Amino acid sequence: MIEYTLLAGLLFGLYFSLVGLGLNLIFGVMRIVNLAHGDFLMLGAFFAYWLFHLLGPNPLISLFLAFLLFALIAYPLYFLLVPRLLSARDPEMLSIILFFGLSQVLEALAVIGFGTSERSLPGQLLGHGPVQILGQNFPAAWATSGIASALAVVFVYFYLYRTRLGYLTRAVMVHHEEAVSTGINVHRVSAIAFGIGLALAAVAGVFAPFMLGSITPAMGIDITITSFAVIVVGSLGNPLGTVLGGIIYGISLMMMQTYLSSWANLLPYLLLIGILLVRPSGLLGRQVRRA
Amino acid sequence: MTAELLEAQGLEAAYGRVQVLWGAGLSVRERETVVLLGANGAGKTTLLKVLMGLIAASAGEVRFQGQDITRLRTDRRVRLGIVYMSETSGFPGLTIAENIRIGGQFVGAAELRRRTAELYTVFPALAERRRALASSLSGGQRKMLGVAKALAAGPKLLVMDEPSAGLSPLFVKEVIHVLARFREQGLSLLIAEQNVKFLELADRVYTLDGGRIGFAGTVPQMRADDAIRRAYFGLK
Repeated sequence: MIEYTLLAGLLFGLYFSLVGLGLNLIFGVMRIVNLAHGDFLMLGAFFAYWLFHLLGPNPLISLFLAFLLFALIAYPLYFLLVPRLLSARDPEMLSIILFFGLSQVLEALAVIGFGTSERSLPGQLLGHGPVQILGQNFPAAWATSGIASALAVVFVYFYLYRTRLGYLTRAVMVHHEEAVSTGINVHRVSAIAFGIGLALAAVAGVFAPFMLGSITPAMGIDITITSFAVIVVGSLGNPLGTVLGGIIYGISLMMMQTYLSSWANLLPYLLLIGILLVRPSGLLGRQVRRA
Repeated sequence: MTAELLEAQGLEAAYGRVQVLWGAGLSVRERETVVLLGANGAGKTTLLKVLMGLIAASAGEVRFQGQDITRLRTDRRVRLGIVYMSETSGFPGLTIAENIRIGGQFVGAAELRRRTAELYTVFPALAERRRALASSLSGGQRKMLGVAKALAAGPKLLVMDEPSAGLSPLFVKEVIHVLARFREQGLSLLIAEQNVKFLELADRVYTLDGGRIGFAGTVPQMRADDAIRRAYFGLK
């Protein structure tokens, strides 16, 4: 039983790493709090749902389309919203208010477009039959989602540590003012990070019907809170710390659902409060580099 | 007579309602080292930031190689060849190698490799610790990293904000020695300082006081001026 719980927690942990990754990337680069993160994930989920019912592609194809579409939408959205925010006296506080408003707008638009009922996609779309991992059987959709999430984390690592733009992105994360002084086009670098952040949320959304059971326009706020728990546990502003936060969250969730199921919904709040009281800089804290 | 590289005149700038620069101007010629002397709060950093496009000038004009760059973004100025070394001197959370790579962001991969190898021969202490975080360097090494990062961009003019800040006299001497080496290779330098030791490098000097240029001339002319000598050298 415990082996199953731990392995399922690991698969879900990888998925929750993907869920929080975009939020942490955006916070790390821009120091703005995207309270609409969960709503972009919800839109990614409905995009995959809508595309499946319209053309019937495999969600793994929808994943690439969602990434491209959301990155393309996010790039101009950055220039519409963020430079004005960053020139304000208290951009972090203002970003909370602005993105909360955006979250409400996105949810309302999704209700108009899709109604309020729960939707889902058949699990077989991501593979047939159970998959055996270390002698335990898991739905193929969980394994596919976990592997795809791990690949997305590797993609972000490669981007940040192996590409020219990634170096510049980390420079902005480490010291915004020095980045401007060095001649880095900070708004271009930030807009690309914003695009990747929202695109990752949309990709996480594509897997939401399989990992979360069903999707509704109102799911955004819960996802945003879960994402905050994941990135605060890891390390706020350190995208790769999200992986640690995601795995801890995933395993804790599975343990709670197995042994204390009626308490499972409290988990994100308990983790958030616990970490903020005991180790506010996250588990990785200052022992790791910020970027 | 060498050509003017940088010319600035009538610059005014303010932080909110507090005006800091009052019609300041200066020039740097090719292969020339200019030192901008001034006390804390004289407006040196603000003047450099206006020259780099980091703060907008409310009046005045900046020209680089004859081109009006007053409204040009900082990244475009860096591409033209004006590179800024701030007091921060690099990104503390990144490695030395990463800092140099970021400094050479506009340079092609092969050329950057060549320049990096050259910089590592000039700064062996950085070469030894190239994978270490910049935050682990001592104050003097950090300044060297700032210089190396700026030089990776291949500047025509290196603009430096107080390279002696926080350094012991021994390290100040080392920084001056390194800068002298690059000056001999033809690099133009504009150095804002309050440490008169840097006058060793200067072809010309400006003094800045209360956001206004006071004295402009050569070091011997400066030493001959009683008022300036008293103010900056503490001599009677």
